[in-house]
Amino acid sequence: MLTISELSFQYPGAPQAALNGVSLTVRRGRVLGLLGPNGAGKTTLISHLAGLLAVQHGSILLDGQPIAQARAERPTRITLAPQEYAFYPMLTVAENLACFAAACRLKGNTLRERIAACIAFTQLERFAKTRAEHLSGGLKRRLNLAIALLPEPELILLDEPTVGVDPQSRAFLLDAVRALAQAGTTVLYTSHYIEEIETIADDVAILDNGRVLRAAALPELLAEGGAQMALRIDGPLDAALGLLGNFGHAQAGHEGEILVSLNPDSSPASVLQAIATAGATLHMARYGSHDLERLFMRLTHRALRDE
Amino acid sequence: MMLPALIRKEFLALIRDPHGLVALFLMPVAFIVIMSLALKDYYNPQTRSLPYALLDLDHGAQAQTLAEQWQADHGVPRQVPEEWRPALLAGQVRYVLTIEPGFSDAIASPATPPGIKVRLLADPGLEHALFRGTEAELAAAVGELRANAIQERFMGMVGKGANAIRNLVSAERVATRVRPTAVQQNVPAWLVFGMFFVVTAIASLFVQEARDGTLTRLQAIGVPRRIQILAKALPYLGVNAVQAALMLAVGVWLMPRVGGEALQLAGIDWVALLLMLATISFAAIGFALAIACLVRTHAQASALGATCNLLMAAIGGIMVPTFVMPVAMQAAAHWSPMNWALEGLLQVLLRSGDTLAVLPYAARLGGFAVLMWLAATLLFRRRMK
Repeated sequence: MLTISELSFQYPGAPQAALNGVSLTVRRGRVLGLLGPNGAGKTTLISHLAGLLAVQHGSILLDGQPIAQARAERPTRITLAPQEYAFYPMLTVAENLACFAAACRLKGNTLRERIAACIAFTQLERFAKTRAEHLSGGLKRRLNLAIALLPEPELILLDEPTVGVDPQSRAFLLDAVRALAQAGTTVLYTSHYIEEIETIADDVAILDNGRVLRAAALPELLAEGGAQMALRIDGPLDAALGLLGNFGHAQAGHEGEILVSLNPDSSPASVLQAIATAGATLHMARYGSHDLERLFMRLTHRALRDE
Repeated sequence: MMLPALIRKEFLALIRDPHGLVALFLMPVAFIVIMSLALKDYYNPQTRSLPYALLDLDHGAQAQTLAEQWQADHGVPRQVPEEWRPALLAGQVRYVLTIEPGFSDAIASPATPPGIKVRLLADPGLEHALFRGTEAELAAAVGELRANAIQERFMGMVGKGANAIRNLVSAERVATRVRPTAVQQNVPAWLVFGMFFVVTAIASLFVQEARDGTLTRLQAIGVPRRIQILAKALPYLGVNAVQAALMLAVGVWLMPRVGGEALQLAGIDWVALLLMLATISFAAIGFALAIACLVRTHAQASALGATCNLLMAAIGGIMVPTFVMPVAMQAAAHWSPMNWALEGLLQVLLRSGDTLAVLPYAARLGGFAVLMWLAATLLFRRRMK
């Protein structure tokens, strides 16, 4: 549906590019989780898709058509639910929806039907006459989502849609995103909550320093850790690495862990057996799939980004 | 549908913001009432109702005549102790008139008066215009007395000298249907100030919407920039129209009820008035949009908007009439758009000016409006990029 090729962008006066040769494919009806530390380039990428920034280098094609042309023909094929509460606090929920529905060029019955549908989808019926400024954080997030859904977009960009909400509201929003994808809407979802991405994303792209570090279907990414074993054992590191090196490539990881990429003829059981035979004390052993957070941290490293 | 919906949103947001309504409507009304009452006597000096004391140290016939005439025109003098200075400095009387010994002889004598025979001693806080007015009245009264005395002595004509002198002089304000009053001056002045006060409201609104992300959202769904700007501007044209109607109504109906004089609208050129109000509104809103697209924070919006307004008002003769300013300041006033607005309105409301008379002011304001709207469009485009 959406093909991003070698997209680069540098803000005027900025010392380095915010996006540097980003290539990515977003498939119709799927949820793409976009992960990246602060300053990775997520917002810049989303701003391109939302039509807020023009393409400097590279291309973005929507169903084979340049995005600027596609947006000119129908600007609401892609909508954005920004991280901010992007609605008018002095207006009621219904008034906000009516205002943005008209801004989306909806008219007459279509306008009324879409407002009703979006209110129902986000379960805001009881709050239709409540001023937006009086809504709780979770309800505000739901209104933010409802507005983005008004024109029935093909692709919806959700930028940190669960910031500041309670667990119940978060669960509701995640279910809503899933339901949208099942109904055929493509979703690009950014969040700092990696477990959310792991829960709802079909595909994941990890972005850092304006580059895509990894992009693949979520199961594929998680399976990458299948032949890797993580261990923590007593004793000198060199001795441990020497022992474990017999079973594959062994290297020191974080917090005293040793990571072993097993040879095809090695098994986890044989590694554990060798440790026991050597008389070393095993404190921790993990084998199997990655979790997304570990993969993310491994790819983006641990250095703080806001300093 | 898009533009009406966004305009409706502005109106709903505006009428649900009581603080904004107070700033836009009640503040200029309060200024009109307060400043018109405060300056009431400036435009119509009440020299004849000032409390005063009269000390006759001469006791002659001419002194008695002067005292009687002064009393007839200015009311009965207050009684003060012989040492009158404390009473004067305490504000119990605004001036003391002392008729020195030898006054009657000096008046009747054909020779040059030997020295000061009447003294006007005024409260140091007495307004300059009132002091000069009272001094002139006193000089005229003494002059009449002396003219009468000399006529009587040499020509045998009694009591005709004063009439003869008054027949020589006439003074009137020319060719307008309205009388200049504090209300007639202050209503247009504070109306202009109030109309320009939309600067702060529009700038704050822009900052809020930029921060909320609603401007971004509108851009993302393809709302053209010109629609976004018009959606902000048109409701405030309405606000300016309501302000104008309200301020004129306050002048006509409220001011007489609170002790002021009524604004006189009979016989004015309504087309000229509407032309001026329309150009003022376009200029004010254009200026507001330009400031709104320039600032980034609420603090900047409040500070820049209010400061620009106050400076333009101070220089432009809104707060202090230009005719009391020094020459250099009067020249500076001609550079303030608020001055063009005020002078245009005064042409209509004070000098019975017609459309042709206000055209130079309307043209200057129109040029300023066009410049500001262009600046706003360019700044908004740059901001949204």
